[in-house]
Amino acid sequence: MADGIFLERRGVPAVSLCTDKFHVTAAAMARLHGFPDYEWVEVPHPIASLSLPEVQSLARACLGDVLAILGVPE
Amino acid sequence: MTVEAQAAEAAGEPAVEAAEVRRAIEHYYEQGWTDGLPVVPATASYVEEFLAAVDRDPGEVLASMAHLNRECTVKVAAINAAMAGCRPEVFPVIVAALDAMRDDTRARGASRFSSGLWQSTTGTVPIMVVNGPVRGALGFNSQGNVFGPGFRANATVGRAIRLIALNAFGLVPHVLDQSTQSNPAKYTCCIAENEEESPWEPLSVEAGYEATASTIAFMMMRSAYHIEARSALRGEQVLEDMANSMSRTGALYSETTSVLVVVGPEHAALLAHQGFSKDDVRTYLYEHAACTRGELERAGKMGVSRDMRWLVPADHPDAIPGAAPSFVPGPDGEEVHRVLGSPDDVVVVVAGAANAGVSSIVELMGSSTSPSGRGGRRVPVMGEIGPTP
Repeated sequence: MADGIFLERRGVPAVSLCTDKFHVTAAAMARLHGFPDYEWVEVPHPIASLSLPEVQSLARACLGDVLAILGVPE
Repeated sequence: MTVEAQAAEAAGEPAVEAAEVRRAIEHYYEQGWTDGLPVVPATASYVEEFLAAVDRDPGEVLASMAHLNRECTVKVAAINAAMAGCRPEVFPVIVAALDAMRDDTRARGASRFSSGLWQSTTGTVPIMVVNGPVRGALGFNSQGNVFGPGFRANATVGRAIRLIALNAFGLVPHVLDQSTQSNPAKYTCCIAENEEESPWEPLSVEAGYEATASTIAFMMMRSAYHIEARSALRGEQVLEDMANSMSRTGALYSETTSVLVVVGPEHAALLAHQGFSKDDVRTYLYEHAACTRGELERAGKMGVSRDMRWLVPADHPDAIPGAAPSFVPGPDGEEVHRVLGSPDDVVVVVAGAANAGVSSIVELMGSSTSPSGRGGRRVPVMGEIGPTP
C-alpha cells in the first residue's frame, strides 16, 4: 500500500494489489499515509499456493479493476 | 469514600479505593492500550520518575517507523514502561535498547527494526539479552527459568517494548500486525547472560565492550525450542543435537537462517572442558546444520523464487527455472544444504541453571546471505546502558 501511494504521489501511475485477508491492514496503511480514499485491488486469498494457470486466470479476472483505477478506458 | 475507607483513614492506614484503581485499569483496556494483561495506570507524576532516570529530552525521538509515519519519543517510552510495570530505574535499559535500534537503522540505511518486519506474518518477537553489572543491580534473571516468569526486570523490560510497539507504533493485531500465529514469547522476552557460570567471554565482551560495561542486545526471533541432551558424554553430541534441530525445513522460508544459541551452563561446561570455544561452536554448527535434498524435496522447497529467493516447490509459478538451493557433500555421503549462511549466523550466550543438560535454540530472522540484507552478523545490534539511578 505504502509503495503504491508513494509512487502515485511522485506522479507514477500505480495500482496496489493484495489478497482479501489483508483488507483491514491495507485500509489502515492507506489512512496512515493520509489517503483514506485510496483504491486498490483485492484478490481471493491465498495466491502463494496457486498453479500458473490459476494465477493467470486470477490476473485476467482482476485486470478490469486495475485498468479502472488507472483510469484506462476499456 | 466507603465506610471501610473512612475507618481505615481514621486508623491511620492509607485509604485506597480498590474499586477506583480497578476503574483506572479498565479505562486502559477500553482505550485499547494493553497487551491483554492489565497495565499499571501511568500518572504524570509517576512518568516524571522515569524521565528523571535518564538525562534525555522527553521530546527526543527514540525510534521511528517511517513507513507508518510513527515515532516513539522518550516520554512515550516512559509512559509505556510505567504501564508495563517497570520500576523507574530500569528505564535506562529500555532507552538503550531503542537507541541501539535507531543507531542500527542509521548505520545500515535500513533496518529490520524500522521495517515491516514487526508486522509480518511470521509474527516476529524482539528478544533482548542483557550483559554486565546492571543485571545484578536491577534484578535481571540469568539463571534457572531464564525464559520464564518471576523476575520483574526481565518481565517488564520485555513487556515495555511490546507496549511501545502496540501504543506508539500502532502494531495492533489484525490491523497493522499481520502475524499469522506468532508465538508465546511475544508478551515479553528479555533475558540476561549467565556470565558467572559461563566458561566463555560474555556477548558484550565479544562485541568489544569492556567487561565492566552494561549492554543490551536486540534481535528479532521467530521462535525458540529446547535441546534435550541430558546424558551426552562428548561435546560433539550436544552440538549434533543442536545442528540437527536447527536444520529443520520448517524454519526455511529462505535458503538460510540464523540463530541465537542459549547454551545452558552444564552444556557450556562440557563443551569448554573438551576444548570448544564460542567460535568453535559457531563453526561446528555452520558446518553441520544441514538438511538433505530428500527433506527439501518432500517439503516442496527445492525451488527458489524470483527476487526474494524464497524456497518454493520446484514447479511453483514463481520458481526461477533451473535454480535450486545449494548443496555440499554431507557426513553420510548424500548431499546436504547448509541452513546457516556463515558461522556469523550464530550468536552464542550462556543462560539458565546449571542443573540439567538443557539448552535452547532461538531462531532469528534473516541471515548473512539474505537478499534483504537484514540478518546475520557475528554480533547482534547492541547498545551500552547508561548510568542507572
